[in-house]
Amino acid sequence: MTVDGDRRRSVSARARGVVAVDRDRRRTVSALAAGAVAASPLARATEVFLPGPPPGPASAPSRPVVAVARRPGLLGQRSAFDPGRLADGLGAALSRATGETSPVDGLRRLFKPTDVVGIKVNTLGGVGVSARPEVALKLANWLQAAGVSADRILIWDRSDRELRAAGYEIGTKHGVRVEGTNEDWDRNLTEWGPSASRFARVMVDELTAVISLGRLKDHGLAGVTLSLKNWYGVVHNPNKLHADSCAPYVPHLVAHPLIHDKLRLSVVDGSEGQCHGGPGHAPNWAWPYDGFLASTDPVALDAVGWRILDERRKEVGLKPVKDEDREPRYIAGAARLGLGVDDPARIEVVDV
Amino acid sequence: MSRHHQDTLSESLSAGGVGSRHPQVAGTRRDFLAGLAGSCAACALGTAGGRRAEGAPAGPQVLADRRFHFKAGELHPQPARWYEKLPESWVRCGLCPHGCRISEDERGTCGTRENRGGKLFTLIHSRPCSIALDPVEKKPFFHVLPGSEALSLATPGCNLWCKACQNWEIAQARPEQIPTTTLTPADAARLARLNGAPLIACTYTEPVIASEYVHDIAVAGQGLGVRTVMVSNGYIQEEPLRDLAQVIAAYKVDLKGFDPAFFKQHCGGQLEAVLETLRRLRKLGLWTEIVALIIPTQNDSVAEIRGLARFVRDDLGAEVPVHFTRFHPAYRLANLPSTPVATLDRCRDVAMDEGLKFVYVGNVPGHPGEHTYCPDCGEVIIRRLGMAVVRNRLRRGACPDCGRAIPGIWT
Repeated sequence: MTVDGDRRRSVSARARGVVAVDRDRRRTVSALAAGAVAASPLARATEVFLPGPPPGPASAPSRPVVAVARRPGLLGQRSAFDPGRLADGLGAALSRATGETSPVDGLRRLFKPTDVVGIKVNTLGGVGVSARPEVALKLANWLQAAGVSADRILIWDRSDRELRAAGYEIGTKHGVRVEGTNEDWDRNLTEWGPSASRFARVMVDELTAVISLGRLKDHGLAGVTLSLKNWYGVVHNPNKLHADSCAPYVPHLVAHPLIHDKLRLSVVDGSEGQCHGGPGHAPNWAWPYDGFLASTDPVALDAVGWRILDERRKEVGLKPVKDEDREPRYIAGAARLGLGVDDPARIEVVDV
Repeated sequence: MSRHHQDTLSESLSAGGVGSRHPQVAGTRRDFLAGLAGSCAACALGTAGGRRAEGAPAGPQVLADRRFHFKAGELHPQPARWYEKLPESWVRCGLCPHGCRISEDERGTCGTRENRGGKLFTLIHSRPCSIALDPVEKKPFFHVLPGSEALSLATPGCNLWCKACQNWEIAQARPEQIPTTTLTPADAARLARLNGAPLIACTYTEPVIASEYVHDIAVAGQGLGVRTVMVSNGYIQEEPLRDLAQVIAAYKVDLKGFDPAFFKQHCGGQLEAVLETLRRLRKLGLWTEIVALIIPTQNDSVAEIRGLARFVRDDLGAEVPVHFTRFHPAYRLANLPSTPVATLDRCRDVAMDEGLKFVYVGNVPGHPGEHTYCPDCGEVIIRRLGMAVVRNRLRRGACPDCGRAIPGIWT
């Protein structure tokens, strides 16, 4: 039995509501995170949290780390990135989130040269409130430095149209592929939790590992949209998944093996945040957060991002999203499914 | 959307002579539609011989030199009706009971209505994904011009997500995900007229979410003597329903169950909203027929069927036709067997026992429950076999034997 197969069964069982007691699994997943091969020299590095069922008392790992890197002046005139601050801030977040001393080492720890890596960006909302191309390309560059060749890296979202509107150039101008799903959906219907969807074909047939690159922003129905909800962009029917603040849907979607078994890293572009009026662009509610968030635990990452947005809302005189009847309950739901940790007391937020 | 097996697109394609059971095969559909568009009226009426080879020249009786070119990935937004503007450039759609709040660049549950710059747009006006000629019995309407052809149109999407959806490939998709073509309301009316169809049926998917298009088709058809009917889940708010009722001729409602929990779990909506639509249709005086797809173990209990029958009798009237139709495994209920005929027989018996006058069994060709019987003398007035009318003995809207008036649209 492979480690991967074990995880698939455990998560699937949880997604079905079946109680899966697997306390040793935490150690297995940790070993996987530490380089997939227990004998690897990389296994000596700091333990990395990966999504999975909550640990039992006897095998509790360190708390999941959410690295927060803020660099005042990250955005300069006309919202252009300061290249030095971008590399420094994003690099620091990745390094700390992966427990390594550099972003390249961190990515090398999570991705193998044989992987085909997808960086799923969230470009709904156009250039003003999407994950920025500079961030995605920097990730892609570091992935290449970590040994993943350019032709095995894809930056993608739902459509070329949305990518272009967010400032991405379609094609391979930057070495890696940048393109939308463009209605290239898997022909088969995939059942997951309370719904069923067609997945983007690349998720089914091509990608072996994925990174979620979201944006720090509010969502008028879901409460917030950060890294977890970004995965709505890989199924053909997101419009059917917004009832009840998305709570019944996001956890089960991310728990599906097509996502869960490939998800290695989650990053939130917080160069500029938007605390209200999302997911569309509402510049009056945007502010320069000048930072990045990164974690190998998407649930912890979203829990921290939610808190940041609520703090900003308080600063500008808005009620917490919970008091507007749109608490992002999907984050707690994801924790209940074993996808990560949402309890602030159990999350290690590290400013770097 | 309609999940009535008799009104699945796959059967339309079969009727068109292609024989495909897979409505999402664009090439197959394209072939059929090209054949339809390029055929003479007689040939287009669902015979194998009616299909033209792709690339064959258009026949003279069809829209002048008109060919349909289906293409996916395109959006053609048109201003929507029935919505209100909200602060921060949000809108609230007023079309169906979901009442979706939609932020800029986002869409509602149906996936076809998009907020652009604080205004709501429909993405499916004049953009059908399916065009076919069907017998009206296939909708099923059994009391509307029996034996007539209906030009049947579908646009992508639905506001519900029924687990038994027969046409999920087009109903559970967003408009850009499947091939669509351009067909204006005026051209739809002309196409029906040229093919000898007195009816246009908005069907296969959910016409409620295309209400602007349906409304405009109905208005265009009135000028050419073509009537428009809707085959719908009935999940619609009052204002658009009133507007539609002024221009359409008949409304068929899929009453997908009579248990609110079942309706919510299997369809993603509120049963009461559909019941309210039915009550409103009665008040509006629009001809209405009801279909209930009976799914084994899911919505086939005697108590549920009795409740449904009593609702129809007490709130709508005992003469509203009710069709109990046979489920076949599909979509997310592919694991269930087809409905036993005995279950349908029981449903019909229960409904008639509760006093309903016109109760039919569907999707069971040759079943005696396909015929229209006189409620007074019991004689067969309209004899059917599957979707075909074998004999129609109706005389001026009444039983030829005892003279009892039979409700419906007969002329």
